[in-house]
Amino acid sequence: MEALLDKNRLKDWIAALDGWEAYAPARQDGIWSYQPAGDNPELNHPNTPQPPKGFAFPQREIFFKFEQVKGEAPRLTAVSPAPTFRVVFGVRPCDGRAVPRMDRVFSDHVDDGYYQARRDGLAYVGLACNTPPSRHCFCQSVGGSPVSTDGLDVLLTDLGERYFVAAVTDTGKALMQAAGALLAKPGAAERKEVARLHAAAVAQPQRGVNDAAAAPAKLKAGFDSPLWEELARACIGCGICTFLCPTCHCFDINDEVTGTVPLKGSRVRTWDSCQFPDFTMHSSGHNPRDTLGSRLRQRVSHKFRYFHENFGMHQCTGCGRCVSECPVGIDIVRVVNEIAGSV
Amino acid sequence: MGDNIYLPQLARVAHIKEEVAGERAIKTFRLEFDNGGGFEHECGQCAMLSIFGRGESMISIASSPLIRDYKQFSIMRVGRVTSAFHELAVGDVVGIRGPYGNSFPVDAWRGKNLVFIGGGCGLAPIWPVIQTAVAQRADFREITVFYGGRSPRDIMYRAELEKLRGAVDVHLSVDKAEEGWDAFCGFVPANLMAKQPAPDNAIAITCGPPIMIKYVIENLRSLGFKDEQIYTTIENKMKCGLGKCGRCNVGKDYVCVKGPVYSWAELKELPAEY
Repeated sequence: MEALLDKNRLKDWIAALDGWEAYAPARQDGIWSYQPAGDNPELNHPNTPQPPKGFAFPQREIFFKFEQVKGEAPRLTAVSPAPTFRVVFGVRPCDGRAVPRMDRVFSDHVDDGYYQARRDGLAYVGLACNTPPSRHCFCQSVGGSPVSTDGLDVLLTDLGERYFVAAVTDTGKALMQAAGALLAKPGAAERKEVARLHAAAVAQPQRGVNDAAAAPAKLKAGFDSPLWEELARACIGCGICTFLCPTCHCFDINDEVTGTVPLKGSRVRTWDSCQFPDFTMHSSGHNPRDTLGSRLRQRVSHKFRYFHENFGMHQCTGCGRCVSECPVGIDIVRVVNEIAGSV
Repeated sequence: MGDNIYLPQLARVAHIKEEVAGERAIKTFRLEFDNGGGFEHECGQCAMLSIFGRGESMISIASSPLIRDYKQFSIMRVGRVTSAFHELAVGDVVGIRGPYGNSFPVDAWRGKNLVFIGGGCGLAPIWPVIQTAVAQRADFREITVFYGGRSPRDIMYRAELEKLRGAVDVHLSVDKAEEGWDAFCGFVPANLMAKQPAPDNAIAITCGPPIMIKYVIENLRSLGFKDEQIYTTIENKMKCGLGKCGRCNVGKDYVCVKGPVYSWAELKELPAEY
C-alpha cells in the first residue's frame, strides 16, 4: 500500500488516528527527542540523541509494590503497563532495525511481559534518510540501509512538499487506512522519484566497519589482544554509549523504599550498563570484568560477536550515537576495525 | 499482560541452622510455601530469593529435588541481601522465584564413580547431587567427597558429612593446621592430589571459590580426567535469571539460562569471565 501525503496534512493524519497516541521528534532546549505530537510535527530532524527504545523498554519501570507491617506477611501488588496504542513518527531506519533485535532479546527463552505489553500496542512510522548521512552514520556497513524498512510499520520518504507513504506491515496499512482521503494515489512519476531518491541515499558514501561478516571470527581471534586496554584507556566509564544505544538492553532490578513503618516500596527495573565496574562484581569483590579494556571488549563483542552467535545478526545498527556522544572519542567502528586488523 | 515473570512467590522461613559463625558466616534456611505454592527443581538449579526493601539475590537450591515439602538454601553473609537473610527469624516471609538455569545430568551418571570436590560455601550447589546419589546409592559406584574450609570452624554441613561416611568416602581438609584437627591440612586441590581418585568411569563435580576451581580442574586433568568428565557450576552476578538483564553474560551465554552447570569441555570454550 503506497500513497502521497501533503506535509502540512501530517497533523490531520495524526488527528485521524483514533485511539492512538502519536509521538514525533520535537526540539526542546536545543535537543531533539520524541514528544507527544503537537500541532505542527516536524519530522525532518537529525536523529534524536536518545533512540525511541524507551517506548517499549522505559528507563525506569515498577514491577510491583510491596507493603509489610512488621510481623505480618508482605503484600505484593503487581504493576502492569496500561494497554495503550502508541505510534511513533519519524523513526530513522537504524532505530527501526533495533526493534526486531530488542524483540528477540525480550522474547528469547521466556517472554518479558512488561516489554511485550508495551510493544504489542506500538507502531513505528519511519522516515527514510535521503539527505547525506552524518559523519557518524555507518548503517550500511552493518547490513542496514538509509531506506531500510526493518522493524517499521510504515516508511515515509521526503519528496519536498509531500511524503511518499509506504506500508510495511498490516498495522501500517491500518494506520494508512485511517488517513482516508488525506492520502492521494501516487503516480508513476512519484514512484520513480522515490526509487531515485532511495538509490541516491544508498549511494551516499558512509564510513563503516570493514567486513562485518568477518567480525565475529575476528573478535574471537582477537579476544586476548592487548589493543583492548589501549583502545579503552581514555574511557571514563560513563556508560553513555550503552544508555544511548538503541539495542543495549541490560538492566538492574532494585528495591526502592518509600516508607519504613510499615515497610513500603517498589521493585524497580532500570537501565544498566556493562561499562560500570560493579555491573559484574561479585559480593566477594571478585570481578570477572575488572578492567576498562575487558568492559569495552564486552560491549563491542556483544554487538558484533555474541549476538551474532545467538541470533545470526549483528546487534549494532550503525546509528553512530555511541561514537558521536562519547565524551572521550571512543569509536566502535575504529575498535572493530583495529581488532580485526590485528589478527 | 501474561505471566508476571518478575513477581516472586512468598515463602516462610521454617527453620534456620547456623552452619558457620564469624565473618564468613553461613546459615541454612528452610523455606516452605503456603497454599500449594512452590515449584519443582533439578540438581544444580538456582532460585532468586528476595527480602522486600533490600532486593534479590540468586542462590543455589541446596536441598534435594526428591524433597518436595521445602527448599533449602545455604547463604554466606557477604552482601546487602545475604546480610539481610542473616537477620531473619523463623516465621519471617521472603520472596522466591525460579527455578533458574540448567542442571547436573545426574541420570547420565548412573553406573559411574562420582568424585565431588567442594570448598567454602561451594558445597551447597553440589549438595543436591550428593543427596540424590546417596538416596539412590545402588545406582552409582564409588562416591567420594572432598571438602575443605579455611579452618575447622568454616566447615559447613559438618554433621551431615559425618553421616555420609559408610556410604561415601569423605575427605575433609582445612587450609591451616590447627590443634585437634586430624584430617588433611592444606588446600582442597592438594587434598585431591594426596588421594588421587582414578578417572576410570568417573565424573568429577566441583564448586568453590574461583581460584580453587581453577586448580582443582588442573589437578583433575593431571590425574587423567578428560574435559567431558569434569563438571562445575559457575555463578556470576545475576539480576533477572531469565537471560535478559545481561549481568551474567559470558561470551554468547547467559549463565542463568545456559548454566550454571558446565562441563569443562563446554566452559573452556567460553571467555574466562566468571
